[in-house]
Amino acid sequence: MIFLPIWDGSHGCASFIVGDDADGRGIVVDPLAVIGADTYILNAAEMGLKIVDVIETHVHADHHSIARELAEKTGLLVSMGHRAPLATAFNPLHEGDRIDLGGVHVTVLETPGHTPDSISLVVTDTTRSPDPWLVLSGDSLFVGDVGRPDLVDPTPELTERAALDQFHSIHDKILSLPDTTELYPAHYGASACGGLFLSPKPISTVGYERRWNRFAQITDPEEFVSQLLSLLKPPPVDAAAIRSQNLGNLKTH
Amino acid sequence: MSTSFTATEFFQQVQNGTALLLDVNPAHAYSKAHPAGSYNVPFHRQGWGEEVKRALNGQSPPLGVFADNAVIAEAAKASLTAAGLTVPFTFERGVKGWEQEGLPLERVKDLTVDELAQNLDNYVVVDVREPYELRSGIVPGAINIPMGQLQGRLNELDKSKPHAIICASGNRSASAASWLSQQGLEVANVVGGMSLWMGGRHPVDRV
Repeated sequence: MIFLPIWDGSHGCASFIVGDDADGRGIVVDPLAVIGADTYILNAAEMGLKIVDVIETHVHADHHSIARELAEKTGLLVSMGHRAPLATAFNPLHEGDRIDLGGVHVTVLETPGHTPDSISLVVTDTTRSPDPWLVLSGDSLFVGDVGRPDLVDPTPELTERAALDQFHSIHDKILSLPDTTELYPAHYGASACGGLFLSPKPISTVGYERRWNRFAQITDPEEFVSQLLSLLKPPPVDAAAIRSQNLGNLKTH
Repeated sequence: MSTSFTATEFFQQVQNGTALLLDVNPAHAYSKAHPAGSYNVPFHRQGWGEEVKRALNGQSPPLGVFADNAVIAEAAKASLTAAGLTVPFTFERGVKGWEQEGLPLERVKDLTVDELAQNLDNYVVVDVREPYELRSGIVPGAINIPMGQLQGRLNELDKSKPHAIICASGNRSASAASWLSQQGLEVANVVGGMSLWMGGRHPVDRV
């Protein structure tokens, strides 16, 4: 299996190339504008991979996405959770959808909370084990923290509902994975999408977070929502503009 | 040397032997289908053009670049040009585009590890890995001819028998299989190579 994280430390953003070296197919997840579409194409080619899917874990509000440009240059449609509010064609992903890259399988979990369209991707190398090896958790479970629920619609009512969604996504989906599953969130460190406890370390495991992440420790949904809302950072000033541009980015043509 | 050609014109030169077409896609993609008569030289960023130049051994025929997208095609052309080679033709629309131009493709037959295991008696298995890689085990009965020695040891292979070409992951074997097929052998490429063979718990001989 091929797994290449590509990080942007200045914004605390993570993107990934996942593929099967024995099969030659790969996908790109959450490609970043600061890295540039061509870099993903060249990296994939050098590892012997043909890009067969470009996936966004959600419509981002903190950084510019390059998914549409990458998809166009590779003759693909962007794949996103089916609830993504895009006006034009994209490939909608649903709970349980599986992308087979030879012996490497990528399974979709719908994990709403940070946004309604948020998904996580469970990656299994069936030539090694039937157990998942890692999860790309998007903006659901972070290292030390969880994705903030207030960037799509900051009204108290909807933020509260999103926080409750986040509780279920994290407890019912991500934390139901085996402890040994590696956790690769979409953000770390400086990112505005996390809260006060977001670690500068970009990787963890499901087991470590189950034990040491303060939000994973809270098993009561109401308590989770109340803690999450009381610990929010002020929203980034440009979130709405970036989000709309990413929506627009994906909308044009 | 800014002459440029249509795909049909350039392909004519490839057939006449006056030009070379380089398929710069990854080996797995090449193995699935590639322009007839093309050679697989997967593109990478570090000194790739210089490597092609060395492989050409002092010759400098006009080169065509065949790729899946414009990003790779342009990068490959730039790398060849920087090495002093002449690239009057690039094609960036992949196999589908080549077919739309009405030009011929070649395919190497793919063989899964399970198919090979079930029909092991019907194939001469050629393992093209380097000798040190064989320590992890080989397919029972396989013969070892490292990639770099294929050309010199072609006479060891029996043209009347089908060959299954295998390596670690199916990359090198894809290139080897396509070259052997151009030499007139009946070959199939074992997809996923020893990685999937062993992952599927098929038997191995220790060497």
